[in-house]
Amino acid sequence: MRYENLVFKYSALFHCDQIQYTLVPVTGWQDLGTAFLEHKEQFRYFVLINCGANVDLLEMLQPDDDSIFFICDTHRPVDVVNVYNDTQIKLLIKQDDDLGVPSYDDIFRDDDDEEGDDSGNESDEGSEPSGKRRRFDEYLVLLILSTMTELMLMFHLFHRREILFDYEQYEYHGTSAAMMFFELAWVLTKDTKDMLWWAVIGLTDQWVHDKITHMKYVTDIATMQRHVSRHNHRNEDEENSLSIDCMRISFEYDLRLTLYQHWSLYESICNSCYTSCSFKLWTLNGQKKLQEFLADMGLPLKQVRQKFNSMDMSIKENLRDVIEESSNKYGMKDIRIQTFGVHFGFKNRFLASDMVHAAAALLESAEKDESNSDNFIKALDALSRSNLERLHSGIDLAKKKLMAVQQTVASCICTNLILSQGPFLYCYLMEGTPDVKLFSKPMALTLLCKYLLKAFVHSTRNKRCRLLPLIMAAPKDVDKGTVIVVGIPPESETSDKKNFFGRAFEKAAESTSSRTLHDHFDTSSKFIYNICSILHPL
Amino acid sequence: MDPSEVEFLAEKEMVKIIPNFSLDKIYLIGGDLGPFNPGLPVDVPVWLALNLKQRQKCRIVPPEWMDVEKLEEMRELERKEDTFTPVPSPYYMELTKLLLNHASDNIPKADEIRTLVKDIWDTRIAKLRLSADSFISQQEAHAKLDNLTLMEINTIRSLLLDSLNCMFKLRSNLQPGSSKGQFMDY
Repeated sequence: MRYENLVFKYSALFHCDQIQYTLVPVTGWQDLGTAFLEHKEQFRYFVLINCGANVDLLEMLQPDDDSIFFICDTHRPVDVVNVYNDTQIKLLIKQDDDLGVPSYDDIFRDDDDEEGDDSGNESDEGSEPSGKRRRFDEYLVLLILSTMTELMLMFHLFHRREILFDYEQYEYHGTSAAMMFFELAWVLTKDTKDMLWWAVIGLTDQWVHDKITHMKYVTDIATMQRHVSRHNHRNEDEENSLSIDCMRISFEYDLRLTLYQHWSLYESICNSCYTSCSFKLWTLNGQKKLQEFLADMGLPLKQVRQKFNSMDMSIKENLRDVIEESSNKYGMKDIRIQTFGVHFGFKNRFLASDMVHAAAALLESAEKDESNSDNFIKALDALSRSNLERLHSGIDLAKKKLMAVQQTVASCICTNLILSQGPFLYCYLMEGTPDVKLFSKPMALTLLCKYLLKAFVHSTRNKRCRLLPLIMAAPKDVDKGTVIVVGIPPESETSDKKNFFGRAFEKAAESTSSRTLHDHFDTSSKFIYNICSILHPL
Repeated sequence: MDPSEVEFLAEKEMVKIIPNFSLDKIYLIGGDLGPFNPGLPVDVPVWLALNLKQRQKCRIVPPEWMDVEKLEEMRELERKEDTFTPVPSPYYMELTKLLLNHASDNIPKADEIRTLVKDIWDTRIAKLRLSADSFISQQEAHAKLDNLTLMEINTIRSLLLDSLNCMFKLRSNLQPGSSKGQFMDY
């Protein structure tokens, strides 16, 4: 996911100090387990980037006692065992990130005798001083309570279960791990402009994929802006201007049209979620409105359909202001967003969101012969400034992906594929749908899901349906008959981006005993063999 | 000789850097270097300077001749004179390329410097070509060229030597009753 830019920064830090390291990309829990087994003999220190915080790592991986894990992960909530483990697990978290972890006494109990079902994996616990820190399992065998101590124990355990449930119920994301690493580099005074740019990309990725709230995004942008000003003032003044080849990062209050500088303006408006949903471009009326909008701004169609770089300079000059003014008339108040752009050499200007889309498209490209690690390396390549061809190919893939998303959204809405299943909305992509292969990957499917929900909310008249969450399923592997399922919370202006589907899916899987693979680090996407099971009410 | 070999030789030149780490004197085969103290300038060979720069451990100070005004004067002088003028450094072309590729953020007005050095290079190479051309056509026996750098000599070396060889063979075959062993297949 956002591994690439973090990995870049990490390798940059390691290169500086000439520390040897091995880089292993992983796509899910199984991958992580396999990779760990392969490498655990040779290494003592493991750094986990964007994985591992929200699960009990020691239990899952069963490491040796002298292995130490450094975890920098944005997935929240952080598993309580990871938080309270002093010896083997070190978490890299920003101080102001409010974790809301329940206090130690509420969950753990220093007790000599334990009631309950000790799972077989108490072996690591056994190595710690006995009687001091024991962990009680959630699933207890209910005994007949006769003594006060047993009663108290029960209360404690129920209370604990409630607290843990509240704590672990909703899943959300914390500060971008890329930003965490940048701050780490800054503290060590090894920060460079490249690292700053990667931190910006990490933050923008969180915003593009809707993982953080708008408030948090704006706050983090302000933090990054301070760093950007600091770097920009370092070398440049009027007399000694920098070479054009040096990298310059600048703050931009730019349009929310995806990839518009690398596409034509018209295509960008048609394929950006915000504009497409506001105009309802899947309807005839919507198309007419779009033409009116363009006419209102005085942009000739011929110009607007041309590649952005070939548009007339006179049009490009005030484009942002002109678009903002007209958008306000059409009800799009937030057409501009604060972001950063980079510019090196005469030709190369990119916005942070461009790079996010390119890297995401490369990471999940659905070519047959490429393994996930190959895709990872390609995405990593695209982010370095030395391989611009890769970046451009990523941008092309991203364009195809966006067009596929828009077409799928349009067809789903026009053919009413979204069904209301009581407490939630449900949509299943059939196997023959064009471009369905693209959507067998979690990030692409999540993107489609979010766009679809936004579009649905704009198009439906049913007020109740607007407040429902959406579950989407798509075929993952046609030969094996597996399906990938994604769930997202309801669309709202003030959403805090917390997702309860992780736990909900687990419960559903248990209650219907379908074969599921809860493999992804983002627990709201799962594979399910038997799709009928998901229709059971939760 | 390969241009990369010439560049390799150029990397032995000394340049001033400002390190951000500290290290005691180091004793290398080529000589002693250091000690390194953060913030204090020290002279090191270019190869070391570039390596440290890439590891973000130093800041490179541009050599004195790498300045816009000085280079402009040199360029004007070069254009006026028919012969070659003295160069700022025997490896000016290679050093410019290396330093501007790896450390352009430490060198003010890097783009102008690049253009100026290229202009000087172009003028000198043009003079060199003229001189080689007249050397061959007037069948001179020897020529004296001052102030040429290794890189410039290297560009013309293979062409000049091969063409002189060719000329010699052609000329010797013109004379009747030539001695044995002169007919060689090319």
